[in-house]
Amino acid sequence: MTHDITIPFYQYILEGGNGLTPKEDVLYATRQDALARFRSLGLPDLKTEAWRYTNIQRTLKEQPFILQQQPLPVTASQVAPAAIADLPCYRAVLVNGHLQPELSDLPEIKDITISKLSEASQQAGFKAHFDKHPHLADQPFAALNTALFADGLYIELKKNAILDKPLHIVHVYTLSQHAFLQPRHLFIVHPHASGAIIESSVGLHDGVVAFVNSVSEVILEENAELWHYNLQNTVQDSRHVTHTAILQQAYSRYHHHNFALPQANLIRNNLSVALKGSYTETDLHGLTLVTEQQHVDNHTFVDHLVPHCNSNELYKGVLLDNANSVFTGRIHVHQDAQKTNAFQQNNNLLLSEKANINSQPQLEIYADDVKCSHGFTVGQFSEESLFYLRSRGIGQEAAKTLLVNAFAFDITDQVHIPALQHYLTEEILRYVTRN
Amino acid sequence: MRNSNEIIDDIANKEYEFGFTTDIEMDIAPAGLNEEIIRFISAKKEEPEWLLEWRLKGYQAFKKMQLPSWQHFPMPAIDFQAVSYYAAPKKKKQLASLDEVDPELLATFEKLGIPLNEQKALSGVAVDAVFDSVSVATTFKGKLKEMGVIFCSFGEAVREHPDLVKKYLGSVVPHSDNIFAALNAAVFSDGSFVYIPKGVRCPMELSTYFRINAQNTGQFERTLIIADDNSYVSYLEGCTAPMRDENQLHAAVVELVALDHAEIKYSTVQNWYPGDKDGKGGIYNFVTKRGICKGNSSKISWTQVETGSAITWKYPSVILQGDDAQGEFYSVAVVRNKQIADTGTKIYHLGRNTRSRIISKGISAGQGDNTYRGLVQVGPRAHNARNFTQCDSLLIGNRCGAHTFPYIESRNKSATVEHEATTSKIGEDQIFYLNQRGIDTEKAVALIVNGYAKEVLNQLPMEFAVEAQKLLSITLEGSVG
Repeated sequence: MTHDITIPFYQYILEGGNGLTPKEDVLYATRQDALARFRSLGLPDLKTEAWRYTNIQRTLKEQPFILQQQPLPVTASQVAPAAIADLPCYRAVLVNGHLQPELSDLPEIKDITISKLSEASQQAGFKAHFDKHPHLADQPFAALNTALFADGLYIELKKNAILDKPLHIVHVYTLSQHAFLQPRHLFIVHPHASGAIIESSVGLHDGVVAFVNSVSEVILEENAELWHYNLQNTVQDSRHVTHTAILQQAYSRYHHHNFALPQANLIRNNLSVALKGSYTETDLHGLTLVTEQQHVDNHTFVDHLVPHCNSNELYKGVLLDNANSVFTGRIHVHQDAQKTNAFQQNNNLLLSEKANINSQPQLEIYADDVKCSHGFTVGQFSEESLFYLRSRGIGQEAAKTLLVNAFAFDITDQVHIPALQHYLTEEILRYVTRN
Repeated sequence: MRNSNEIIDDIANKEYEFGFTTDIEMDIAPAGLNEEIIRFISAKKEEPEWLLEWRLKGYQAFKKMQLPSWQHFPMPAIDFQAVSYYAAPKKKKQLASLDEVDPELLATFEKLGIPLNEQKALSGVAVDAVFDSVSVATTFKGKLKEMGVIFCSFGEAVREHPDLVKKYLGSVVPHSDNIFAALNAAVFSDGSFVYIPKGVRCPMELSTYFRINAQNTGQFERTLIIADDNSYVSYLEGCTAPMRDENQLHAAVVELVALDHAEIKYSTVQNWYPGDKDGKGGIYNFVTKRGICKGNSSKISWTQVETGSAITWKYPSVILQGDDAQGEFYSVAVVRNKQIADTGTKIYHLGRNTRSRIISKGISAGQGDNTYRGLVQVGPRAHNARNFTQCDSLLIGNRCGAHTFPYIESRNKSATVEHEATTSKIGEDQIFYLNQRGIDTEKAVALIVNGYAKEVLNQLPMEFAVEAQKLLSITLEGSVG
């Protein structure tokens, strides 16, 4: 499954992408189906409604990508910069999507399985949930991932299992030439189990470009709880298209915190939640702090299928330099989903003449006994706040930094791990003061 | 008496008897859309060559276009070739007294509180000596003429003021803007033309009702309003009375041009036939409305109350080109039974210090589907641009839908854009409170809905606002309980 293919990716796509999946692969049929699906969906262009603000075809054509690369050797010291100070945690290190047990520190707790996805294909959880999420079916990049993924992480928290420390997943990308990488993950949290996951990445590919098309499926069974932190920083020369598809059963609680920070050139996050059981709670929090020529596109979808679910979404953006930010938040409340509470908010600070913001908060509601709202703002610091600080002897720059921090506070404050919260606050400060 | 469809059928099935390009006497063109028909319409209206060419350009653009697919409702099949694109204004049958009018229509008039004489005029009863609409209109016309205001039919404007029409026609909604605008450009029947000269504040609300030659201009109307420097005009379109119309597809175009310090206020009340309970029949209201604030400190304000039509699909827009220009959009859209409304606005901030305000109130009942779709775009030159958008949806019953799809694009750091949307239903406690005080549920709902829509209704000219309030209550009758 890890052939080096030397034809450029785009050309390969056009030619139909045959011959990558060996017939003996257990997923051969699934992959062939996905490939057919991808071909019929086609690559999105600017006329595709969901991609109207992100020119993905241009990005794909910029470099001749090769498909999948064997991981190059990585040492512990190369992974070290990803560490979060003072954070007691387990660690799973993945190099180009392949789990490296010798670099990892995995929990040895009964009822908790953390393994390579390729080794999990006989697990009941894998059979029940792999590629089953309803929102992935019409996503071309998800189909492409299913068809051609190399490997990824499989995490299963069995019934009542508690992950006592957060699991830090470090994605390492190491390449010798421009490559298109496709990691694939599956996280299953069984009834009454709970845990926290922190994802971050390290780029070891000087001068070459990594295009990462990753898909994660997250299943929360009844009364399960998961904190999911996604830190998108420290990888230069990279483009990311991610799909995170969450399925929640009754009484489950899911907290997603996304931090899109400087470095990556292009980030497109597709975050979608299907609420299949009642009385669930869903928090989606995001902070986008972007500089230079960065383009970040957050595409979220909350699908309220059943009654009595609560979802809460707050995305904030700080845009510097020539940065570009896109936000699309869709809430769909089905006819049966009475007593839904769904709230969504997107606030943005434009701090540069050349920055760009596009936003599409969407409500689609077919039930009457619901409370739904969305809000959007874009603007500047209020002159009054700035004046207040300056009149108390705080310099212009320091005052601005303080205000950006205050703006981001709503998001960082929701981080429930103190060491991580401290780390993120410092990171934000670092980027803002540098500008 | 044969209805017009039978006549159309007859003609369509007839052998090609007379070359209709030469037969100016004919009243109804055969169904179908082609260059010959357009030449025929143009000849029939004795139009100058440039206008015919413009129509043909519209037709060429139309031929290249596809029906859009992004809308939030299943697109009905429209056979453009089955429509007759020209019919001479029909004389309505004159009735001797109100006794001959459909009692259901009269009951509605009663509820709306339309004065007796107006009722007669609306239902086609011969107007008696006391209320002579012609004389009223003539007085109005005289007054307008004195001030230099031009208010006439489009055809008349083409003859009398070709320079103005030539300069502004298609300058806001180009002939190739969208498929329905292109169709309108090719075959538009007639419409209104308004020109307010420099420094004139139009002394009365202009409404097609008082236009002497307000005939049945039908489905492809075209309105052009130009407000020159420092002028003001308020224009009313439609009326609260239910309109029965044989034409299913309405593709009108409205263009507004506001020059320096000018203000245009455009109010619409639309109550066209919405189809029956099962969604059969009803009018497709696919209208392109756009205004441009060309001059500095100019202002355009759209107010709409949409209660009729099977499908309402329109986005009255404002291009804020001049510095300090202002745009406003106030809308109430009510859907019930199987009605669909996909409406909203587009505001383009191009000039400095431009401001806009959008207030949209959607009310869905029965199996209706109500969508707000809007765009607020702030260009790089639009320093200190300011937008505030609020769209609220009210759901009555659990089989209806309410959707909000705003698009916000900001390219200027000094701009402030705000959008908020809420969805809710009428609280049982609110109803209970009113019930307790002896107000029955139906009236209570009407009261709550009117309170909910007040912000928009307040924008309407006074008499209109009173009628619109009653119209809202009537529209929602029977949808509660």
